Amino acid sequence: MSPAASLVTLRDRIRRIERPNARRHGVLPFGVDAMDNALPGGGLALGGLHEILGAGADEEDCAAAAGFAAGIAARLPADSLQKQGDQAGVVLWVLKRGDLYGPGLAEHGLDPARIVLARARRDDDILWALEEGLRTPHSPGGIAAVIGEVGRVPMVAGRRLQLAAERSGITAFLLRRWQSGGEAAAERERPSAAVTRWRIAALPSLPPSVADYEPGIGTPRWRVELLRCRGGEAAAWDLEVADATGALSLSAALADRPAAPRRPVAEPQIWRAAG
Amino acid sequence: MPSLKSGEQPGNAHSEEPPFATVIASGGRQLLAAVNPAAEAQGLRAGMPLADALSFLPGLITRPVELVEDAGALHRLAEWCGRYSPWTAPDGVDGIKIEITGSAHLWGGEAALAADLSQRLNRQGIAHRLAIADTLGAAWALARFAVTEAAEAANPVGCKFPVKTANLTAAAIIISTGEMRAALAPLPVAALRLDPALVEGLHRVGLRRVGEVLAMPRDALARRFGDMVARRLDQALDLLPEPLSPLGETPSWRMRLSFVEPIADPADLARAAERLTLDLAARLAREGMGARRLDLGFYRVDGRVEHIRIGTARPSRDPAHLAKLLIGKLDTVDPGLGVEDAILAAFAVETLGPEQIGMTGAAGAIGDTAPLFDRLGARLGLDALARLEPRASHIPERASVAVAVGGTDKGQCRPPPQPSPVPTGEGARRRRGEESGAMPTPQKPPRPVRLFQPPEPVEAFWVLPDDPPFRFAWRRRTHRGAQADGPERIAEEWWQPDGELVGAEGCPGAIRDYYRVEDEAGRRFWLFRAGLPGDPPPRWFVHGIFA
Repeated sequence: MSPAASLVTLRDRIRRIERPNARRHGVLPFGVDAMDNALPGGGLALGGLHEILGAGADEEDCAAAAGFAAGIAARLPADSLQKQGDQAGVVLWVLKRGDLYGPGLAEHGLDPARIVLARARRDDDILWALEEGLRTPHSPGGIAAVIGEVGRVPMVAGRRLQLAAERSGITAFLLRRWQSGGEAAAERERPSAAVTRWRIAALPSLPPSVADYEPGIGTPRWRVELLRCRGGEAAAWDLEVADATGALSLSAALADRPAAPRRPVAEPQIWRAAG
Repeated sequence: MPSLKSGEQPGNAHSEEPPFATVIASGGRQLLAAVNPAAEAQGLRAGMPLADALSFLPGLITRPVELVEDAGALHRLAEWCGRYSPWTAPDGVDGIKIEITGSAHLWGGEAALAADLSQRLNRQGIAHRLAIADTLGAAWALARFAVTEAAEAANPVGCKFPVKTANLTAAAIIISTGEMRAALAPLPVAALRLDPALVEGLHRVGLRRVGEVLAMPRDALARRFGDMVARRLDQALDLLPEPLSPLGETPSWRMRLSFVEPIADPADLARAAERLTLDLAARLAREGMGARRLDLGFYRVDGRVEHIRIGTARPSRDPAHLAKLLIGKLDTVDPGLGVEDAILAAFAVETLGPEQIGMTGAAGAIGDTAPLFDRLGARLGLDALARLEPRASHIPERASVAVAVGGTDKGQCRPPPQPSPVPTGEGARRRRGEESGAMPTPQKPPRPVRLFQPPEPVEAFWVLPDDPPFRFAWRRRTHRGAQADGPERIAEEWWQPDGELVGAEGCPGAIRDYYRVEDEAGRRFWLFRAGLPGDPPPRWFVHGIFA
């Protein structure tokens, strides 16, 4: 064996030791080079547990986080072999408060017809339901992803979810949704067994076009922060929100100019949008 | 009948038992409602005034009647009688009717069934009288009014079986078809289930026995007493049908497992559940059916029934799956002193074709998520599972509804949602570029990811009537608007008679103007103004948040 070949084998072995599940189930690239380069394996690890946090006041509602998760789930299962015809697979979404809105999710690529909502009152029940979802055999038209909106996740429960996801190859997302500031403060920094931890914050939108300035909300944007990543570095990007196919893109305006904080408008007439 | 009314009091004729009676207030008088055998031996009868009874027997122990508890006890007993047949129902305040047609042979005949029932009732300390006859009417009459040596020994409680046979056993009066007329003839006319007024009327014309009424010409009877007497006669003699409405829903299939010794160990109960589901699954497979709802009843020694009820998202006959669902709920079962019978009943059975089995022999169709939904539904409740389905409505909260996961194809995806509603607001139209021509294809107006139901009221400040708020307070937090889109006007669906939009009280036309407002931090809210500017001032709501 040539030295180069043995180096490749060695690298492969090390990678397998470091991230066994990334090897086994592959990754889902974001299609944004900056992000994919920062993630080990070149994308979001499939068959793993990913935590998504809201930011600021959105920790209570997780709206941006839900949009982010919907955009990813829209592109699952990644393996085209697992997509048979129109059977894109079910997204099991377990939540406490039934405020998920189908047409809104569709704008981020997730067909609401794929979603099965399960409502549970307690965090324990939500975690149990997620684990049940992860224990189903991964098959075409089966469960493509499970998403849970949960407040408290004990370390053991997170570990169980991660193991179940690794075994079945189904990708799991935890939207950390906290009812109160106290709960958020207690839970925010807690370590977890998840492969990655993200924080999604809404950014002020850019005007639709710089040339002919139209009043109103332009392209909505997110600040996507990768807070923690097994085998990777923390990073942050300013992105345009997931579009109708679930794809993200780097905020175009960033290349030209700094994202200056929008000046609070003094004269209300400015936002007379088009009316 | 009397002894059951006294409820807790064992009806067995223990000689050492003191005379006891329950008392009911009736028309300002205290009457005996029921008496125990000791009191009966002293000459007391139900319906006797309490004062008279006490003059006979000063030491009589009395207790007020507890009608509600008695009714509850009778209902439970009727439910317990479900171990003999699915068609059971309480009858009046003191009887239970059981339709045993087709189930008597499982017990080795009617006599054996009656003997078993009688023995178990005795063990529970319930005095009873059993009668089995072709019709409900005949059984009712015989159980209450027939006097035999056997019935004398047992205490009278009405439990009767409309079915035939020609045996007279110690346990029950069993009358065959041929004997019915002869058996009914000597009974008093009250045995025909008539109003007291009718009974009195018959007495007044000298008709005291059923046989005497039978001999009368029908038209004369009908002229004098209406058709009730004739109808009751016909019902008792099987000339008129009389359906029995059972206590619960009648199951499609039932599987019964009886135990020689009562069982109480949860592991045994689990094994029983497995056995029964296995039997049921075999039966269902033979018939090409699948069960949607199952009820596993544990019949306890003390005459109570503990139920486990499960539902499945789609018809199933997978024994392992069904057993798992049932066993998952075993912790809700209190076996008490022991369980004698377990009965598994399948309701809502649907056709289920032969199943595709995987190459490896593993059960379960490809992409089949139904077992998962069943497990989730068993713990969270089947109504906790829902799908988001689009609806053709431009009212946001009606455009997407959560439909409970039901019987339709679970693993399949529905066709893509209908196009989103078109806004009617002038501003929205203009924004979509129909004037400027910048965007030639009309875009769907954006919709939020979270929609609050009901919309949450906010305290808003705005300048011009058509403006979105420049500041609003929502959930104890103040938001300053930085940019906004809108309005998108959404009006009431005038063709919907009962649709009243939230927040529209006092606002003619029930009109909402939606604005997309981005605050300084970048969060995008979906706000609407309910009502038109003017008096009363419009109110503002947050309806959703965009991702």
